[in-house]
Amino acid sequence: MRLSPEQFWTYFEWLIERYALLQGFLLVLILAFVGFVVGFVIALLKHGPTEGFLQVSKLIRELFIVDLPGTSFRRIGAIARLAIKEAIRKKVLVVVAVFIVAIMFAGWYLDPQAQYPARLYISFVLTTTNYMVILLGLFLSCFSLPSDIKSKIIYTIVTKPVRPTELFLGRVLGFTAVGTMILLLLGAMSYQFVVRGVDHRHEAMGISSDGRTGETSIQHAHSHTFTLDESGEGYTNETKGHKHIVTKVGDKIVVGDSIGDLEARVPIYGSLRFTGRDGEENAGLNVGYMSEYQKYIEGDSLSSAIWTFKGVRPESFDTELTYDMTISAFRTYKGDIVTPVGGVVVFRSMDGSVVSERFPFKVKEFQVDQKSIPLTDLKGFRNEQPAELDFFKDIAPDGKFEVMIRCQDRSQYLGMASADFYFRARPMPFWWNFVKGYISIWLQMVIVICFGVMFSTFLSGPVAIIATVSIIVLGFFGFFIDDIVKGTNEGGGPIEACIRIPLQSGSGTELDLGNVALEKSIKFIDKSILISVQTLSQAIPNFIQLGTADFVAYGVNLFGGLLSRHLTICFGYFLLTGIISYFFLKTREMAA
Amino acid sequence: MATTTAPTTTSVTATDPTNVIVETRNLGKIYRDFWGRKKVNALKSLDIEVRRGEIFGLLGPNGSGKSTTIKLMLGLLFPTSGRAFVFGKDATDVAKNERIGYLPEESYLYKFLNAEETLDFYGRLFDMPASVRRERAEELIQMVGLQRARRRQLKEYSKGMTRRIGLAQALINEPEFLVLDEPTTGLDPIGTREMKDLILRLREQGKTILLCSHQLADVQDVCDRVAILHQGELKELGRVDSLLKVQDVTQIHAKGLDEKTKLEIKELIARSSGEMLRMDNPTTTMEELFLDIVRESDQRPGRRGSGA
Repeated sequence: MRLSPEQFWTYFEWLIERYALLQGFLLVLILAFVGFVVGFVIALLKHGPTEGFLQVSKLIRELFIVDLPGTSFRRIGAIARLAIKEAIRKKVLVVVAVFIVAIMFAGWYLDPQAQYPARLYISFVLTTTNYMVILLGLFLSCFSLPSDIKSKIIYTIVTKPVRPTELFLGRVLGFTAVGTMILLLLGAMSYQFVVRGVDHRHEAMGISSDGRTGETSIQHAHSHTFTLDESGEGYTNETKGHKHIVTKVGDKIVVGDSIGDLEARVPIYGSLRFTGRDGEENAGLNVGYMSEYQKYIEGDSLSSAIWTFKGVRPESFDTELTYDMTISAFRTYKGDIVTPVGGVVVFRSMDGSVVSERFPFKVKEFQVDQKSIPLTDLKGFRNEQPAELDFFKDIAPDGKFEVMIRCQDRSQYLGMASADFYFRARPMPFWWNFVKGYISIWLQMVIVICFGVMFSTFLSGPVAIIATVSIIVLGFFGFFIDDIVKGTNEGGGPIEACIRIPLQSGSGTELDLGNVALEKSIKFIDKSILISVQTLSQAIPNFIQLGTADFVAYGVNLFGGLLSRHLTICFGYFLLTGIISYFFLKTREMAA
Repeated sequence: MATTTAPTTTSVTATDPTNVIVETRNLGKIYRDFWGRKKVNALKSLDIEVRRGEIFGLLGPNGSGKSTTIKLMLGLLFPTSGRAFVFGKDATDVAKNERIGYLPEESYLYKFLNAEETLDFYGRLFDMPASVRRERAEELIQMVGLQRARRRQLKEYSKGMTRRIGLAQALINEPEFLVLDEPTTGLDPIGTREMKDLILRLREQGKTILLCSHQLADVQDVCDRVAILHQGELKELGRVDSLLKVQDVTQIHAKGLDEKTKLEIKELIARSSGEMLRMDNPTTTMEELFLDIVRESDQRPGRRGSGA
């Protein structure tokens, strides 16, 4: 699992600094404009320009003046309760039975020889639950309203003082309640399945004559070796993603529960910038097609990678500051091929007046290099004078500080990205991370329900399902539009592409029409179209981004900021689908 | 059991706008296909008024525009031309529904709910507090005679029972204006009689009723005024008693006449240049005969009636 920088933006960074709020606002404006124009054109065809305009205006006015203020929680509750009763009496709980069967026979298709069994188990239950709950949400939401319309039950509903807002909200809340209930059941069963699946104990055996080393019995297709210290305590080696505490009790050596397989590491990420060999800031070096993800710094120069950390608090750590590195090396000459390329890590205050000593390291390619430094009695320099430092008092008094990495070997390069250096704060309980993973699934389910209900306000059940599934699939291709806008996908926008095709002009070359003004105009129009399309594409949920199963499976704490973002996105879709549903319900002839 | 009484004249001031519950002005509806092409002209320029406190009947053969008219009044359809007003508000205004009860031609209800749940659900849609809902549901279940079936899911109900729970849901909010579409469909003669009695009782309570039916006898029994539609057009509108009156025929009902007197009456008619059309003993209706048999059977179970 490799985190991308946007995954560890804080909530407000995402909302304000990364323009999510602005994009949302733009989206609302564009959709409102498109909605008004489409509505007006339809009304114009039906009633003529003046009456058409009045009709559309009346519709918008009624939303804010009549229907929203007149919305009743009791009516919403009634429709929600009905949806719950309907689901239960139509035996929706069969989903739980299917899930029980799936995990009963999971042993048949989950490989016990897997390198990380916990990861496999967690991925399995989260993915299965995710698909089942999304399918459940899809079927519940897409068929209910069309079924009421087809059976004409809707006649007895809309002839009561029921607002379109209540029809939408009641159904969404009802189906969400049913889905939540089922998700809770599946979650509890999944947790038991994972915990019991990875739980195992070994017996100590093959103990050396001095009683300090030995190996364990084979359980769950693996065994460990262990070494005890003088006090008779120690750990086994790490196998299949976990280790065990080993203690000597009297003459007996006891191998304890496994640790490390069900955990939620709490990484603290910083933002990365680079300096060149002259010490001036740059974007990092590109060493060719080694990695699109990482940028490189040059060895034995002022070229450095500098991470800025904020909000790092002493209460998140015990006695040491633990950090993980995933640094890669690029060699311009082989040299001593056995000795890895080396670098140093330096911790310093934001103003640079307090600097720690240099901590040298050798690059461990394709591995997570775990290191730690003491929080107190740290050697370093204060105003260039040697001093004993306290990390949180001297270097990071307000939680802000910098970490600098330099490459020590001349003409060799070190590569890194933002997520390649992080601190490991005290881990969170696994169960809480598991719950957060399920909250993520819940949010996806709510989005599917919102879209399902929205489509069912104007489409028949099967067509509403196809439309909702299409939206989910389209969401997978949102990145393509992003790539075109960012320029990663070369060739320009739609007009430029249309010109390039007959001219047989390669997408990698500059557009050359012999008229700079014309070229600029085309690029300007293309940019406007692309930004509009990109904003509209935000209206389609990206379920890849919303999926967080990897966080739980790989034992990384699901950031609160990321979950809050997903919650906000979900709320945005709820509002969007709610407004669209309102207009469809308001303008639909229920008896037509 | 109460018996059906002849329609009574209610004191309605036709010209008083506060007494007009429903008003349609040039109301028309054209059904179109997906491409907007005209399929059928279901209703043409309908102008009617339903006045407070009356039972207004909508009559007409299939496809005459009765159901379309009701649906337009309830906001289930939007007019192609003209407008419909209910309580002085546009028919599409949701707020008017607070004062309306509607019994559709089939009882379109959730079959997985029982009678109590059904009434509770519709009570909630009127934003009624729990205590009021409970009280009202109890009252209505008693009224429509579903005490024994109150906990059974509606899918187990007979057609008559479904009609009765349908009526109960239409009355949950104690509506001022009740729209009944084919209220006696699926009911046996006793049920039909009870329904008609109930409709008359509701009128006595001051409710206004719009009734749409194929059963001409039902309409004749209960309606004060009727509108007759055919092919989407209003063909006749007026009071039932005046519409049905045959102006040039005189009907005399007398009891205990001997043959001589009957002969004298015939001679008198002949002397007055009148034409004797018929003089015989009246027959009862099949409905009356059936109800008498059932009543007798209820009082003396196991015995064959002496009706023949």
